[in-house]
Amino acid sequence: MKEDTDREVTLENLLRLKRSERPPAEFWAHFDAELRAKQLSAIVSKRPWWDRFSRTFAVVGRYQLPVGAAAALAMAFAGYRYLEGQGELTAVSPQAPAPQGSTVAAAPAAPARAAAALVGATSLRREVALSGARGAAPAPKPVVDATASHMTQAPVEVASDSLTKSPFADGIAIKLADFREPLADYARPSVFGSDREFEQPAAARQAVSDPLARMDPAAERRARLLAPALPAYSSRSPISVPSDWMRQRSSADDRMYESMDRGTADDRMLVGFRF
Amino acid sequence: MNASKTLDKTLVASPERKLEADADLDVVRQVQAGDVAAFDRLIVKYRERVLGIIYNMTSNREDAADLAQDAFIKAFQSIHRFQGQASFFTWLYRIAVNSTVSHLRKNRLRSFFSLESVREDDPVSRELIDALTDKTGAGREAFVRELQEKLNDAMQKLSINHRTVVTLFEIDGLSHQEIAEVMECSVGTVRSRLHYAKQLLQAELQPYLMK
Repeated sequence: MKEDTDREVTLENLLRLKRSERPPAEFWAHFDAELRAKQLSAIVSKRPWWDRFSRTFAVVGRYQLPVGAAAALAMAFAGYRYLEGQGELTAVSPQAPAPQGSTVAAAPAAPARAAAALVGATSLRREVALSGARGAAPAPKPVVDATASHMTQAPVEVASDSLTKSPFADGIAIKLADFREPLADYARPSVFGSDREFEQPAAARQAVSDPLARMDPAAERRARLLAPALPAYSSRSPISVPSDWMRQRSSADDRMYESMDRGTADDRMLVGFRF
Repeated sequence: MNASKTLDKTLVASPERKLEADADLDVVRQVQAGDVAAFDRLIVKYRERVLGIIYNMTSNREDAADLAQDAFIKAFQSIHRFQGQASFFTWLYRIAVNSTVSHLRKNRLRSFFSLESVREDDPVSRELIDALTDKTGAGREAFVRELQEKLNDAMQKLSINHRTVVTLFEIDGLSHQEIAEVMECSVGTVRSRLHYAKQLLQAELQPYLMK
C-alpha cells in the first residue's frame, strides 16, 4: 500500500470501485440468449391453478400482522364471552336461593317445565329453558319434587338477567337442555344390542326409591335377629318379614336341645340335648 | 393524467429522471398494447444496472445473472398491472431487490464469492487504484483482487437491508427518495440505514482509508 500519497481515499471512493466490477461484453450475449429462452417459456407455459391462490396469499401476507392481531383479539373476546356465560351457569349451588322465574327444575307454578324435566323432550326443554331464561313463568321459590330423580331435582338456576343480555347466553341454555336429553338416551339398551324395552330412567329410579324411603333398617335387622329365639316377635312386627322363612327357622329341627323341664326345684332346670 | 401527476410529485428533484420515466412509460404502453418486442428495449436499457445491483448484493455473478433474468421475466409477466404510479425503473428495481432479498434469505447459510474482474477503463477507478498502490503488473492485480475481496467481504457482513441501501445509494447513485420508493420505507429509514452501514464499512475498511 502506498503510504506517502496526498490523495484522500474515502469510503465512497472504495465503494465507487465496485462500479467497475462489470462483466465482459461476451457475457451479455449469453445473458440475452438465456433471457430470451426464459421469456418464451414464460409465454408458452401455463400457470398452475394454485398460482392465483399463492398470489392472493402473498397479498394477504403483507397484512399478516394486523390480521393476526385482529384474529387473536376476536378469539380472546369469544373465549371471554364463553367463559363468562359458562361461569354464570356453573356458579350455581343447590342451597342458593333461586331468582324468580329462573328455575328450570320441576315446579308447581310451571307445569310445562316439570313435564319437560321428567319426560325429557328436547324441544320442550328448549322452550322451557328459553321461557325460564326470559322470566315468562315466574316462580316464587325453587320447589324441588321429592319423587324426582337427582337429575331433575338438581335445581339448575340460570340467571335470567344474563340470559336476556345476549343470544349467546340463550344458546348456552339450549345446549344445557340438550345435554341432559342424550344422558337419558344413553341408558337405553340399544347400546348393548338388546331389543327389550326399558322404562324411562326417571320412572325406574322413582320405583326404587319409594320402598327404601318407607323401610326402617333398624327395625328389620331387629326382627331378623330375634325371630329364631322369639317366634312370636315376628308376628307383632309391622315389618313384613317372610313368615314361612321365620317358621322354618323356629321349627324343632333347628333347635339344639331335645327337651326342657324346670322340674320341682326352683333353681334347677333340666335340658335334654340330642346328638 | 394521474400517473403523470404521481411521477411529477415523485421525481420533481430530477427532471432528467422525469424525461426518462416518460420515455419508459411510452414503451410500457406499447408492451401493454401487445408489442412484445418493445420490452427488449427496456431490457437493453436496464440490464446492466439491474445486474449491478443484484451482483453487489449477492457478490456472486452466477446468482446475479439468474436473478436479473428472473426479475425481467417477472416484470414482463406483470407488466399489464403496471399503472404508472411510479416510474418504470423504480418498479423494476423493486422487483429485482425483492427477488434478491428473498433469495438471500433462503440461502442465508450458503454464500460464497464469485467476483467479476475490476475493469480499469473507468478513470476514477484507475486513479483510485493508483493512489492505493505503486505496484505494477502482477503485484497490482493481486492488490486489486485483495481489495475487491475485502470490499465484498465487508458488504456481506452488513444486513440485507443495509447492504441494499448502500448498493442503491453509493454504487447505483439513487437518491434517498428513490431508495425509499424501491424499498417501500421512509426516507428517514433510508438515511438511518445508510449512516449505520457506513459506520460498519468504515470500521471494516479502515486499513484502506487514508488522508
